[in-house]
Amino acid sequence: MEKNLSSAAFNQVRPSVPQEQGDIPSGYGTTESYLLPKDPAWMFLFWEITNETFDYVRGQYGADVLDHSRTVIRLYDVTGVEYFDGTNANAYYDMPVIFDAKSWYIHAPQAGRGYIADLGFITPQGQFILLTRSNMITLPPGKVSDVIDDKWMSVEGDFIKLLQLSGADRIGMGASELMQVVDQRWRLTELAGAGNAPSSARSSWTSFALHTVPAPAPQEDEDIWLQADCEIIVYGSASPNAFVTINGKEIKLQNGKFSLRQALPAGAVLDLPIKASNKQGDKTRQVHIKALREQGK
Amino acid sequence: MGQEKGYLALMLHAHLPFIKHPEYPDFLEEDWFYEAMVETYLPLLNVFEKLTAEGVDFRLTMSVTPPLCNMMSDPLLIDRFKHYLNQRVELSGKEIERTKGTEFEAVAHMYYDKFRRFKDLFENVYHDHILEGFKKFQDMGKLEIITCGATHGYLPLMVHKESVNAQVKVAAADYRLRFGRSPRGIWLGECAYNPGDDKFLRDEGIRFFFLESHGILHGTPRPKYGIYAPVYCPQTGVAAFARDMESAQQVWSADSGYPGDARYREFYRDLGYDLDYDYIKPYLHSDGVRRNIGMKYCKITGKVPLNEKAPYNPHEARDVAATHAGNFMFNRQKQIEYLSTLMDRKPLVVSMYDAELYGHWWYEGIDFLEFLFKKIYYDQTDIKLVTPMEYLEMYPVNQTVQPSMSSWGDKGYHDVWLNAGNDWIYRHLIKSAERMTELANRYPNADGLLKRTLNQMARELLLMQSSDWAFLMTTGTAKEYSTKRTKDHIKRFNELYEQVKHNRIDEGYVYGLENSDSIFQQIDYNVYSSAAKDAVLNQYK
Repeated sequence: MEKNLSSAAFNQVRPSVPQEQGDIPSGYGTTESYLLPKDPAWMFLFWEITNETFDYVRGQYGADVLDHSRTVIRLYDVTGVEYFDGTNANAYYDMPVIFDAKSWYIHAPQAGRGYIADLGFITPQGQFILLTRSNMITLPPGKVSDVIDDKWMSVEGDFIKLLQLSGADRIGMGASELMQVVDQRWRLTELAGAGNAPSSARSSWTSFALHTVPAPAPQEDEDIWLQADCEIIVYGSASPNAFVTINGKEIKLQNGKFSLRQALPAGAVLDLPIKASNKQGDKTRQVHIKALREQGK
Repeated sequence: MGQEKGYLALMLHAHLPFIKHPEYPDFLEEDWFYEAMVETYLPLLNVFEKLTAEGVDFRLTMSVTPPLCNMMSDPLLIDRFKHYLNQRVELSGKEIERTKGTEFEAVAHMYYDKFRRFKDLFENVYHDHILEGFKKFQDMGKLEIITCGATHGYLPLMVHKESVNAQVKVAAADYRLRFGRSPRGIWLGECAYNPGDDKFLRDEGIRFFFLESHGILHGTPRPKYGIYAPVYCPQTGVAAFARDMESAQQVWSADSGYPGDARYREFYRDLGYDLDYDYIKPYLHSDGVRRNIGMKYCKITGKVPLNEKAPYNPHEARDVAATHAGNFMFNRQKQIEYLSTLMDRKPLVVSMYDAELYGHWWYEGIDFLEFLFKKIYYDQTDIKLVTPMEYLEMYPVNQTVQPSMSSWGDKGYHDVWLNAGNDWIYRHLIKSAERMTELANRYPNADGLLKRTLNQMARELLLMQSSDWAFLMTTGTAKEYSTKRTKDHIKRFNELYEQVKHNRIDEGYVYGLENSDSIFQQIDYNVYSSAAKDAVLNQYK
């Protein structure tokens, strides 16, 4: 890794520009949640729930209500609903969630629809207790529209050809091909064993990386394509004052709990030794989690 | 309309995040700007100058984003850039002597000539203000400069529309300051479009923007011409132009793309590593660590180790660029000829790229563009270069289609800017946006120190919203720096918020931030008020 002047020079900073101490806020003291679109199939929900909110729920529904209830995200399909009042959704879906995760990726039942997410409890009696409601989003359709404009009709065959030429069957396939050119060249020279170019050469400005560039034009007999990916979540809890590491790296506890989300690329073996130790370091507990994603074709 | 069969619109997106660190005498990441100046922006203007002198008519659309405009106009960065350029002139001058009689003589001369030319262009022709150059060609009608979100913000992930409104309004105001008229087009950061955001564009008189191809292909209703004609957004009538995949791939395909040619310059073999340490040390950063300095003497050569790369031959490489330009043009002629058989109007192919690819990564990309402009002008009549506005003047009637949410990132949506590696930022970005609007609503008529503080909060918010930070966290390039920048702006914003809330504004603190995070000197925080947003949206009720 290239040594960064910006971090190397912290100590000799000129006094004219303020240097902030401490970390960014861990919370803002308000119970709220926001829903963001990710792609036609996925959304991202994040939230903050204050202790006051939990206290309020306990006060309303009994001190032990939280211990006996399931915690869920209730996802509403509100497509075409002008004002959502909690009861007029087209459909809703409950999914279990861990509040301490503070965020969750939600798979959408259907692309192109409007969604709102509630966070709440379901009591043993089946009652839903709302903690916070998100904003509404509409996901992209992820396909060519079925709606045809009668003022702008075209010959069906010509339209299909134009669609193909436009790249309709190639969308989403692209990893950046240029990055591949650069990367391949780099790897080749590295493999060839030159060894006199440090990896820092990679740090040059690469604003294009990951921009979609289409894959090569499909062959006439090419099959349909499919794309899928995988992330895993590791979570748990430990004594609130324990020092916890995952794979040797410290992970901070929030109210004694932790969670870690990590990509799991095809063919990867994820080896995550989790270790908790006390202050003196003479008592430790370990859990070892290993995940293998087979190299599928 | 003439005898041409169709049109080609070339679009280059020039952008860097705002990076300025007056607190350090020497800062690594500022190099991105200096490198792009000397490898892309000045070389591009040099080509425009040459074409104009030779009487070659050309058309190009370019975004020069607000952060870039601000950096290009910043006295400190201009001074530092001049130092950077002078150092290159000096070193390349020494290199003429050192390489005399060696196989590197030709390439050493190339650098010396180019650096001196760019220095002359920058200092004597544009008087240290490179925007003068861009403005000159825009005023001549050859270059259409468009704006971008104020800090290249990622609009579809902004929950509060006040933030979308501010990204557009602050950018438009900055554009007027730099170019003396209103922007007619905009590049949405990362081509990220959210249906309805075009209302904020129209309010600034913006007539068009660009999309990734599926933004139009997945639009409703079906686009009759695919991506080979623009569409109008419903209600607003703002035109959307989509990227042509075929011409994008022509340039960048891993197998057949142009930049990989063995005769082109090798990026990874740099004098910063090759030369004797004591000789090169004055041209390195103050920490004395060997890094790329932007002078490279070898060609790609082939699949050989870096130490077996052959000497670069500038004349040979320029000839290859000419061949590639010819090939690119030929393929566009064939493409447009075929498309015109399927359409009842002349097709438009929109080719868009990051500007920094030309020159910085693909060194000969600048020559390629020069040859492409010349060949299109001299050698054929099938295709004609146009700007989006020129197309809209020829074809004012277009289909109304609601484009789909989309971006030009990997997988076509928001994955690059919203994933496990960077999703933590949105809690803070969204909360800060909400707090900004809260204060803008509460203090519509602030003055004095309070006004300065609120304006600085708006700058901090805009800077934390740069999509570059989330992007760099994903690619892993400069992850440490992009994380620090995000956190710094979050901390600064919230510190100012607390100071305002508790009526204990620290003038020294505000002054320090005004000096370092100095983007948008003319900003007015009122742009974040709910009233400003409602004034736009209420037009559609």
